[in-house]
Amino acid sequence: MQVTIKVFRYNPEKDKKPGYKTYKLDAIETDRVLDLLEKVKGYQDGTLSFRRSCAHGICGSDAMRINGFNRLACKTLVRDTGAKITVEPILGLKVIKDLIVDMEPFFENFRSVMPYFVNDEPEPAQERYQSPAERERFDDTTKCILCACCTTSYPSFWANDKYLGPAAIVTAHRFIFDSRDRAAAERLKILNDVFGIHRCHTIFNCTLACPREIQVTKAIGEVKMALVTGKLD
Amino acid sequence: MKPRTVSMYRRGFDFETTMWLFTRLSALIMYLLALIGIVGAFIMGARTQMNLADIIRWTFMPNPSHVLNTNVPDLAPWSTVFWKLMGSAFVFFAAAHGLHGLLSVIEDYLSHPGIRLALRILGVVILLLMSGIGIYMIWTS
Repeated sequence: MQVTIKVFRYNPEKDKKPGYKTYKLDAIETDRVLDLLEKVKGYQDGTLSFRRSCAHGICGSDAMRINGFNRLACKTLVRDTGAKITVEPILGLKVIKDLIVDMEPFFENFRSVMPYFVNDEPEPAQERYQSPAERERFDDTTKCILCACCTTSYPSFWANDKYLGPAAIVTAHRFIFDSRDRAAAERLKILNDVFGIHRCHTIFNCTLACPREIQVTKAIGEVKMALVTGKLD
Repeated sequence: MKPRTVSMYRRGFDFETTMWLFTRLSALIMYLLALIGIVGAFIMGARTQMNLADIIRWTFMPNPSHVLNTNVPDLAPWSTVFWKLMGSAFVFFAAAHGLHGLLSVIEDYLSHPGIRLALRILGVVILLLMSGIGIYMIWTS
């Protein structure tokens, strides 16, 4: 089948304003959008820029807007997009070139929720034990790959990149509900900020956008309840 | 295993969380008020003596002047302090709930602390003005 792929193009060093460029190429239904972009870059237009790394839905580097939805290009098949595909950078972050955005505001928010294990108690002789049920409590939120699909699908983040965003809250959830961690209070205090968890208006964009199928809105709801009740189980 | 909890002092419970909780609770309170209102309407004889529009009018604002054109023979017993308090509570909670919701969305676009504070003060003034006028009308009509 022949596919038409319309790609957002912008080189701030040359272009006065952003635009779109359309490419036609042959594809099969099981091709991924990333394969199409690779073909365009390899055979038609070497100036096209986009991020990619593992190409298997794990590294999260090729998040982009595909036909208006935040997706990973390496997990989106042509059979799901149809023959006409529009590819744009994710919203709310400054475009560096074409499909590459400046991820720093996103990672700054991520770092602000203390995304690491904290436990100052004396180290046990062996590892810190955890029951299967305790591990299960935060299992879903361990799957986050920091692709930014969720955060950049959220209108509050488009309006103001100070908003921590779903990815940072999901990371906080992963540690807040970890029975071995001891910094839940500090994280909850950070999330209680003006630009913290209460900027979430429960519109479920994040859950729909997550390529790892994390129940993001549910996780945010659990953190809100922890903030109100103080219960971490 | 001991339940894991964090005290309110340690986790912080500031204005944002308070208002988040207020918005949820005020919605539940309004459901309760509407339920009491609709039960009142049926005791009044709504099943045979009111149309749907009148039932809804009474449910959300239980003031006898709103259902004057119904076939309810005697509205005098329904003009009591209890129903005036019900109407006043509805006005206050609806105004506060709606206004806070609106401000929450507007605040997404404001990062300057001074502008946010000014907007909040304006919100409180509008709330007092709106609910004040509404409650005054309920008690003087």
